Amino acid sequence: MAADLAMLDAVAAGGPPILRCYQWSTPALSVGRFQPDDDVDREACERFGVAVVRRPTGGRALLHGADFTYAVAMPEPPGPAGAVDALYRWIASALVRGLDLLGVEAAVARHEGPAGAICMATQQGADLRVGARKVCGSAQVRHRGVVLQHGSILLDRLPFDETDLVIGGGNRAALRAATVTLAELGARSDVRAVADAVVEGFRRELDVQFTSMPGVDLHWSPRSSARS
Amino acid sequence: MDYPEHLKYSSEHEWVAVDGTRARVGITDYAQDALGDVVFVNLPTVGATVTAAAPCAEVESTKSVSDIYAPVSGTIVAVNSALDDAPEKVNDDPYGDGWLFVIEMRDPGELDALMDAVAYRRMVEE
Repeated sequence: MAADLAMLDAVAAGGPPILRCYQWSTPALSVGRFQPDDDVDREACERFGVAVVRRPTGGRALLHGADFTYAVAMPEPPGPAGAVDALYRWIASALVRGLDLLGVEAAVARHEGPAGAICMATQQGADLRVGARKVCGSAQVRHRGVVLQHGSILLDRLPFDETDLVIGGGNRAALRAATVTLAELGARSDVRAVADAVVEGFRRELDVQFTSMPGVDLHWSPRSSARS
Repeated sequence: MDYPEHLKYSSEHEWVAVDGTRARVGITDYAQDALGDVVFVNLPTVGATVTAAAPCAEVESTKSVSDIYAPVSGTIVAVNSALDDAPEKVNDDPYGDGWLFVIEMRDPGELDALMDAVAYRRMVEE
């Protein structure tokens, strides 16, 4: 989360847009910016060895550890292109293209209404689904003229899930029925393959070129610009 | 889109209703529409000092958190605590029950930097 905020600061200072791809070294439950603390069963999190972190973005609780995480930081486009829905669709198109390269046919989710305590249990217009099941959840924050959007693509299942960690989160069967992982779809689910596909999805769909940075952050610019 | 003529507007899509030395502030119809369903408003504290053009509150809409900027400098003298239980008022009645906070202005001259309804409409429609 701190690294994602550092991306926002770098872009706010005039740096180029950044795409970051990462995975979690240990399981963690990220909660939304204003999600009530009472939603989290701290005792259960301790029992399962799950760290709890608060995102700078909105939305609800999300378990990391068997997922692929992306983060995008970019200047907020002016006008209608900068609206929340428009930007979600723009980035979603790149993610859909990337998932397509893995043989996964994803689509933008239909809005099901207000979220409960668990991100993946409800589909909203920012999310991606395969058939009727959610495969990717995303959230944004806008600060100092910069948009930070990050999200999670489900690669596989951990032995436990959000229903073990979130109070009032419903039951496991319902969450499993509402979600699907790349492994369950028979697609490549190793982080490197997914990262390569997502980067290629951005490259092809949004026509951007990337400059590698130390670590895994990739700076991008439109192909029409010679600036890298 | 609605742009009440008696209000002043900031470039960050806040509206201001002036009453003597006090400024009631909310977000415009354009802003609430662009944000989507508001699910939480993080209001400033009564007594807090705010500075023109600096962020002083946050709004969470469906999966996006956005800054709200103070259109003028001063001290927060009232906040709309009804939004705690009914944040949707920001969408349903952005110029009425969806108001956010009231500032006791330090320098009413700062109002001159804000737009009238005609200029604001031109800004959002271009």
